[in-house]
Amino acid sequence: MRLLVVEDDAMIGNSLRSGLRQDGYSVDWVRDGTAAELATATTAYDAILLDLGLPGRSGLELLARWRRQQNPVPVLIITARDSVADRVLGLDTGADDYLVKPFDLDELSARLRALLRRRAGRATPIIENGPLTLDPASHEVRLDGNEISLSAREFGILHALMEAPGVPLSRSQLEDRLYGWQEEIGSNAVEVHIHALRRKLGSDWIRNVRGVGYMVPRET
Amino acid sequence: MTSIRKKLLFTLIGAMSVVMAIGAWATYRAAWEEANSIFDYHLEQIALSVRNQSFQGGAEAVVGEESFEFVIRIWDRNGLTVHYSRPHRELPEVARLGYATERTSEGAWRVFALQYRGLTIAVAQPMSVRARLAARAALHTMTPFIILLPLVALLIWIVVSRELRPLTELARSVARRTPDALDPISEHGVPAETWPLVRSLNDLLARLQTALQTQRDFIADAAHELRTPLTALQLQTQLLERASDADTRQAAIGDLRAGLERATHVVHQLLTLARAEPGANQPAPVAVDLADLCRQSVIDHTTLAATRNIDLGLAECPPTVSVTGQAEALRTLLDNLVANAVRYTPAGGRVDVRCGRDDQGIWLEVQDNGPGIPLQERERVFDRFYRRAGQAASGSGLGLAIVQAIARQHDAQVTLDDAPGGGLRARVVFRKPG
Repeated sequence: MRLLVVEDDAMIGNSLRSGLRQDGYSVDWVRDGTAAELATATTAYDAILLDLGLPGRSGLELLARWRRQQNPVPVLIITARDSVADRVLGLDTGADDYLVKPFDLDELSARLRALLRRRAGRATPIIENGPLTLDPASHEVRLDGNEISLSAREFGILHALMEAPGVPLSRSQLEDRLYGWQEEIGSNAVEVHIHALRRKLGSDWIRNVRGVGYMVPRET
Repeated sequence: MTSIRKKLLFTLIGAMSVVMAIGAWATYRAAWEEANSIFDYHLEQIALSVRNQSFQGGAEAVVGEESFEFVIRIWDRNGLTVHYSRPHRELPEVARLGYATERTSEGAWRVFALQYRGLTIAVAQPMSVRARLAARAALHTMTPFIILLPLVALLIWIVVSRELRPLTELARSVARRTPDALDPISEHGVPAETWPLVRSLNDLLARLQTALQTQRDFIADAAHELRTPLTALQLQTQLLERASDADTRQAAIGDLRAGLERATHVVHQLLTLARAEPGANQPAPVAVDLADLCRQSVIDHTTLAATRNIDLGLAECPPTVSVTGQAEALRTLLDNLVANAVRYTPAGGRVDVRCGRDDQGIWLEVQDNGPGIPLQERERVFDRFYRRAGQAASGSGLGLAIVQAIARQHDAQVTLDDAPGGGLRARVVFRKPG
């Protein structure tokens, strides 16, 4: 899952990036509105964390513009503005959730998971595909009830594939969702993780669609 | 005594009494003159009528009214008293003919004397009779006033009280004002004489309102701005809790320490700004040597400049330039300017501090060769908590607001403009006193 953090404060931005990476997200962090525009124009994000008090273009302006462009990306506002009027305005402008600073990192993660879950059209937190289940909160993956231990990257790939079973994702799509801008990507990194996943789950669970990419077959 | 009512009462009654006293004295004088001319005429008439009558026994008939105390005395050629209407111990000797005023131990006497066939006829009257008459006339004039005096006093008291009622209203209206409702007092219905008072009060109320609003905004801003460092602290603490290995933990502790330092700095800057705002208690101003100030500030920032590889130094600074003000505040002012210059100038840059005196006044200057501040932002950077876009350094957003507040406190002006060699020049000019 790839996230965009729009936050002008260096310390908060840094901490958010570290914390969310530990949760298995790939995180891009920008510090002003112009950079945020550029980032959303070139990269597809799974969710955006948006601070409102940005220098230059304000967060609300950005949000309004994304929504005008019919960009459905889930947006979670993180801001120091705590009045009811501000929250209402934020949500009515198109935000999906609103979190007032200072906030708890665990709460932020939970709200993000809820946002992503709703976006995928699920009400339950656990993603199920036949006997294979994945819990985005605890990073628990079970096959026929047995827990399977995965690395953060492996989990990320499986998560992306299980969000839309039966739909293949290309290598570059997977890379996009796994790695932020500054991270070095080995030329065959995705293949290495796919290989490891196949070894742990059995090769039937990760299919290669030649010339297109990888997918998890939909179980009925 | 500051009661307008009492003052008016006593002044008015006093003034009326003085006027009446002058009136009474004038009446007394007029009556005295009148009595003199009448009684003098009377004296002469009595003397003449005595001359025209036989003296034996007839004199009393012409003397008339007892209370006028006329005394008739007649001498013969040898100085023997032939007739004495009322033998009197102290009747004055007649010195000359005609009118005379003679003093005796019983007081002054008015005497008229004439000679007739070897006889000297003198008619005398004590002056006290005339004085008594004049006094009675004066008293008659005064009597109605003396009787009316308490009534007049009462009237004054009532009228003044009624006229002062708008003042009481005004006082009540002022008393109703609370820090939440400082709306101006209406000038409607208050006497014209109190308009200056009402206007100054309204002026004060307006200034109070502004000051209170500034304070409220400040507190709201401050509370809001404290959320940022607190958010960072919370996140950094959680990352520290999550750290699984020693290296991560060490890094997290370093971040947390930096976060704490930042939060402390913000609080410190907030306090400094609150102290520099108008209305704060200030110690007595002293003479501050600007050369010393500049030198100390450069010394204090040497370490910071060295870590950022900035060439920080003292340029021209004549030793005898000094201003009168708060030494501590002026130091904060300069420190903020120097710290800003060092922080926002790229590594390898140069920062110069100088001071001097010209025809505009005494000035302080901090000049760098960094990127400068675009023209359209030079006003806004003085706003509290204003942060410029794209700055790597995370300050409190209060530095220049503090500089501005301290400069105002010292009647000085801060300007930001382009340094001659590119970069920013911050200049503080202390206006010449007077």
